[in-house]
Amino acid sequence: MARYIIRRMLTMLLTMLIVSVLVFAIVEIAPGNVARNILGAYATPEQEASMANQLGLTRPVHLRYLSWLFGSDWQAAAVIGLPLRQTVTAQGLVANSIQWWAVDENGDLAQWRVEQGQLVKLVRQPDGATVRIPDERAWRTEADGQEVFWGVDTAGRAAKWVKGQGGTEYRYEYSGWIKSTDSPAEYIPISKGLFRGEAGLSLRYKAPVSEVIGRRIGNSFILAVLAILFSIPIAVSLGLIAGLNEGKLVDRVISVGGLVTAGSPDFATGILLIMVFALWLKVLPGATVLTTEDAIFRDPRLLVLPVLTASLVEIGYVLRITRASVVEVMNSAYVRTAILKGLSYRQVVVGHVLRNAMLAPITVIMLHINWFIGGLVVVESVFGYPGLGNFILNAALYKDVYAIEAGAMVLIVLAVGTQLVADIIYSLLNPRIRYA
Amino acid sequence: MTTADSTTDRPRMPSRLELALAGLWAGLRELAELVWSSPTAVVGLAIVLAWVLVAIFAPFITAHSPLEQDYLTINKGPSTEHLLGTDHLGRDVWARVAYGARTILSLGPISVLVAFLLGLTLGLPAGYYRGRVDEIIMRVLDALMAFPTILLYMIIISALGASAFNVVIAIAVGGAPGIARLVRALTMDIRTREYVAAAKLRGDHDFSIMVREILPNCRGPLIVDLLLRIGYAAFYIGTLGFLGLGLPPPTPDWGGMVQEGYSRMLANVWPVLSATLAIVTLVIGLNLFADGVREESMRYQ
Repeated sequence: MARYIIRRMLTMLLTMLIVSVLVFAIVEIAPGNVARNILGAYATPEQEASMANQLGLTRPVHLRYLSWLFGSDWQAAAVIGLPLRQTVTAQGLVANSIQWWAVDENGDLAQWRVEQGQLVKLVRQPDGATVRIPDERAWRTEADGQEVFWGVDTAGRAAKWVKGQGGTEYRYEYSGWIKSTDSPAEYIPISKGLFRGEAGLSLRYKAPVSEVIGRRIGNSFILAVLAILFSIPIAVSLGLIAGLNEGKLVDRVISVGGLVTAGSPDFATGILLIMVFALWLKVLPGATVLTTEDAIFRDPRLLVLPVLTASLVEIGYVLRITRASVVEVMNSAYVRTAILKGLSYRQVVVGHVLRNAMLAPITVIMLHINWFIGGLVVVESVFGYPGLGNFILNAALYKDVYAIEAGAMVLIVLAVGTQLVADIIYSLLNPRIRYA
Repeated sequence: MTTADSTTDRPRMPSRLELALAGLWAGLRELAELVWSSPTAVVGLAIVLAWVLVAIFAPFITAHSPLEQDYLTINKGPSTEHLLGTDHLGRDVWARVAYGARTILSLGPISVLVAFLLGLTLGLPAGYYRGRVDEIIMRVLDALMAFPTILLYMIIISALGASAFNVVIAIAVGGAPGIARLVRALTMDIRTREYVAAAKLRGDHDFSIMVREILPNCRGPLIVDLLLRIGYAAFYIGTLGFLGLGLPPPTPDWGGMVQEGYSRMLANVWPVLSATLAIVTLVIGLNLFADGVREESMRYQ
């Protein structure tokens, strides 16, 4: 069993690797770029080029992929020639502002800046402030006679300045465009990489992906758990009723009802529910707008329609699986034996049918988690629910590659993880199955 | 002349084309009998056929073009002039629904056929040769299947751009792994039969064994799977349209109509209601049909 689990885990890692390469490749060959998406339609080509350069998008794709996976601080440290260190401090409105510094010969943390052609070193003091020290001697002469310097700039990126050729940098701040000269010619954004717990920067939110995605996962989790808790008991009991009355009217009604709810696209179900409950009856809100972090708990009515929509498809599906399973068990030899030896109907159903008929639904529910996740994406989109699905959809539309990657990795862990749990539960419930 | 006489004397061998047509005819009759014996399938087929007729005769049953805009009649409810009212650009909703049926009823089957071609090319050799070929194909397919389908669609279409062609590609790539697995399982079973051994013995090429001996004998489960998948395809074409990943705007597309009408629901509920009900009825019709056929064919086994 342990070997089996380890093998499955390794397969999962392999899957994640393949998928992450595929996602990177697809986003790479796709037309359009994230710099253009960040800047909007009215940016000039110079502004777009500067932004792409600052984001490191001009670097070769395989280096960017490796940076995402293993980090780029070692690449940056190699060109700078000094070890790098990360600080996490509160800065302005941002609680955990990540900064990168080079550690110089004295053990001080340093960043650099070029002011009117002069290289200036900023040394960090224990209180977080920096002290300016002119550092003109640090320029190094390259083979072609150019004087260059690789260091860490004030935005925490590895940057290469060329003496006498101040590049022009366009930054887009909340106040508008900031154009600065004396800027670096080349950038390497520094990160630790996925394997060391940094999933990269979401270019859309200008914040670490892990920070943005965390709350989204929580929101989706609430939606998913409520939908499952709501739908499974209903679905299993309806499936049981239909299966025990095979061929009768009640079975027909339940079966066709299940087909209708399972077959209707989630968005259609959601919109019909919104029409009935929000537009005509005006009893429930038709969109999930979370004004505060605990809005869901303050006003649970926000969740009713999303949960109901996600549940209906699930109810139809699980109901049909349960019914089929019950029908199969009812026709089996051991149930016939149980009836013939004089057990009451109740004893047969509770003792023989239920336990055996539950095997199939449990695995199927777990196995079709992919389908369920797909449903959640759509439900979140219908209701504007700030969950993981909506996050990934927007990331995909925006070509926010690290956000897509992070979302994809989370989904694969969820999908493969639940499949593994399903297999283990199945083997516990059914002693005939042994995994090696 | 003598040669012509001699052919009339002996019973003529049927040509390969005639054999194929006869096989197809027998298959269709078998399917028709199967459908007829299941009330669910008959109801489903009736719904689907109704939409097929709407799609075919769209120009004759609509008074307006689906693209014609009229800024004087925007967001109007039903009238004798516009049966289902008009949308936010003054386009006739009924015309858009009718022409939208063409979109979904052509893209659905096409994408399923492409998916089947992909699935067959991967599944047949994997099941027939086994060994390393099988191992590699199955690993890649497992990776694709662990990937939530909707995410695959989103990434493919947001990368390639929204167009009919790319919707077909996305749905085909999303469906192919499941089909390949089914084909592989069937192939592994059928390749042990005597007639496959006989074909090998008389020196048939591997390709010809796969296509002429194995494939025709998988047809039962494959047809049922194909019917189910057309329902899924319609489901996903609608969903992609709704997510803004379907056909580019002026094309009449039900999912896209729902998305456009959704935000204007308070002004006029008819465009979104019509498109939603259209897609729900079509997908349910396809599901009822496929499910009826599946249940009926399982009864035979």
